[in-house]
Amino acid sequence: MSNRPDIYCKTFMTDLLKLAWRNLWRNKRRTLITTASVFFGVVFATFVSSMQEGSYAQYIQAIVSFYSGYIQVHQKGYWEDKTINNLLADSPELDSTISRISHVTVVSPRLENFALASSVDLTKGALVSGISPDKEDRISRLSRKIIRGKYLKDGESGVMIGSELARYLKLRVGDTLVLISQGYHGTSAAGKYPVRGIVHLASPELDRSLVYMNIKECQVLFSAENRLTSLVIMVPEDSYVTDVQEEIKTRIGGAFEVINWKEMNSLLLKQIESDRAGGWIEKGILYMIIGFGMLGTIMMMMAERRKEFGVMMAVGTQKSRLALMVVMETVFIGLLGTVAGILGSLPAIAYFVKHPIPFTGQGGEMLKQMGFEPYMWFSIEPDLFFKQALIIFLFTLIIGLYPVYLISRLKIVNALKG
Amino acid sequence: MKNIGIIISLLLLPVFTLNLAAQTLTATEIIQKADNKSRGKSSQGTMTLTIVRPDWKRSLTFTSWTKGRDYSMIYISAPAKEKGQVFLKRGKEMWNWMPSIERLIKIPPSMMMQSWMGSDFTNDDLVKESSIIHDYTHKLIGEEMVRDQLCYKIELIPLPDAPVVWGKILTWVSKSGFDMWKAVYYDEEQQPVNTMNAYNLKQMGDRTILTTMEIIPANKKGNKTIMQVNSLVFDQPISDSFFSQQNMKKVR
Repeated sequence: MSNRPDIYCKTFMTDLLKLAWRNLWRNKRRTLITTASVFFGVVFATFVSSMQEGSYAQYIQAIVSFYSGYIQVHQKGYWEDKTINNLLADSPELDSTISRISHVTVVSPRLENFALASSVDLTKGALVSGISPDKEDRISRLSRKIIRGKYLKDGESGVMIGSELARYLKLRVGDTLVLISQGYHGTSAAGKYPVRGIVHLASPELDRSLVYMNIKECQVLFSAENRLTSLVIMVPEDSYVTDVQEEIKTRIGGAFEVINWKEMNSLLLKQIESDRAGGWIEKGILYMIIGFGMLGTIMMMMAERRKEFGVMMAVGTQKSRLALMVVMETVFIGLLGTVAGILGSLPAIAYFVKHPIPFTGQGGEMLKQMGFEPYMWFSIEPDLFFKQALIIFLFTLIIGLYPVYLISRLKIVNALKG
Repeated sequence: MKNIGIIISLLLLPVFTLNLAAQTLTATEIIQKADNKSRGKSSQGTMTLTIVRPDWKRSLTFTSWTKGRDYSMIYISAPAKEKGQVFLKRGKEMWNWMPSIERLIKIPPSMMMQSWMGSDFTNDDLVKESSIIHDYTHKLIGEEMVRDQLCYKIELIPLPDAPVVWGKILTWVSKSGFDMWKAVYYDEEQQPVNTMNAYNLKQMGDRTILTTMEIIPANKKGNKTIMQVNSLVFDQPISDSFFSQQNMKKVR
């Protein structure tokens, strides 16, 4: 056999693996306990990651569908200087050029500006948002948020206002809302509008200040005929954004700026990133604990088997083979625990993705205050499972270095005496 | 030697007395004369205000009535979107009637610094311009030529507790005519905020006044507001009751 090194090595490798595996089960209890610690660690880490990622995804979904949309087109310079004079000129050609791009699902016009809103004796600052009720509904399902009156129809005159604003101004459906502001190019903007419906918006800030009206009526109010602050563009999901954004830029030219939701919400995204980074610290501590647990087991095991190693070396086993075998044992424990952990957590996470955990009591109220629905969301992105597995694998390799070091220093004579 | 001194003083004496005779007007008096001339006891007329910006231009036409320093009324007659709006000033208070929403709005102090009708004038400018006599001290600091007119250059510093927004005003009032040809308005840090240039001496009613005024903000390139007087008559009798909230809704 020694003149066929390839078969020699191969045979030896499988033999080593078999040996390593059988060695594990020689001491069932120890192996199971160590594997269990890895298992629980993995389950905990995946649950925490799943909840984090689930919340982020929900947060992003809320922002995109409720406010910014996936992509927006503005007059160049509008995003930096959001004034009523920085408007883009709308036209059927512009709309159809954008609609024709593949994967564009909705192209929705908006004209937004601040105004003073008043009822008989009360006045409050408000954000007037001229929309196409139909298209806006497809983006944010606004019609589902109506709590009184009716959702505005396309072309209908009148306004829908946030429930907090309605409460402050003491307005009910059918009452008149007066709006005063400054319009395009300094003209005065003033008008009276019947309240057609009241919406309840999740974000308290928006609920206190939003006034929706049909876009044409809004354009008349602000003397901004055929002008918009933005065109909101939707695609089926996030992965399409970059390509569609580029395509829009190419087709409509340099008078406009085209930005995506990430650019529009960069501050919020940074908050998510820093939160995610914080999560890694938590997980890092967890992994350290698991790691030390494993290290403890390995140390015990090494001490216990000194004589065995001594015998093997005396019989002729090379130190490198011995070390490799012990490393394999370590890796097996890590793998077993990780695979078990992933398999164990998958069904639970899959269930919670479909049925998020509701928050009741004070916690729930606080979330509602911040504008979120009071549920704990989960994510089942494969990425989070693979990441955990990879990290545990790396840890086990690092821990495996310890026995390698020990074996390299082992003297047969001392080991046999042991 | 002693004699030369006496001779020189005697020779120069007439020069001194001549100068003294010419300089009997104090800075305050100069400002008062300019103010009285441009205001009269009362006035009424029509004006056009043009707002100039880098990308656009807009004009408003209005009729204005004033009485003394305390009362004034403005009725906007063009363009169609703004037509019918009325502004009333009584003392330091200001109201705005908006027929499109049938609302009479009192301009609160918090809105006083906002631009009037989108121009470079603020609501405060329209109300406070009468206080240049009482809220400031006046100092004659020289004479300068402005557009071929020899003018008194006068520095106005607000009185310590005066409720004015400017830290300082420099005005150039023509020696013959007492018209304010130029003024520069400074903030509390003595930085220039607005420059006012006036042109076009024309006969309006019983006097010759500057009929075009341009306000140029210092830190906004390409921005300008031009006020053009189309017609103006002075000292016609107008009763105090003309300047009332009820009349705002009726005036045309």
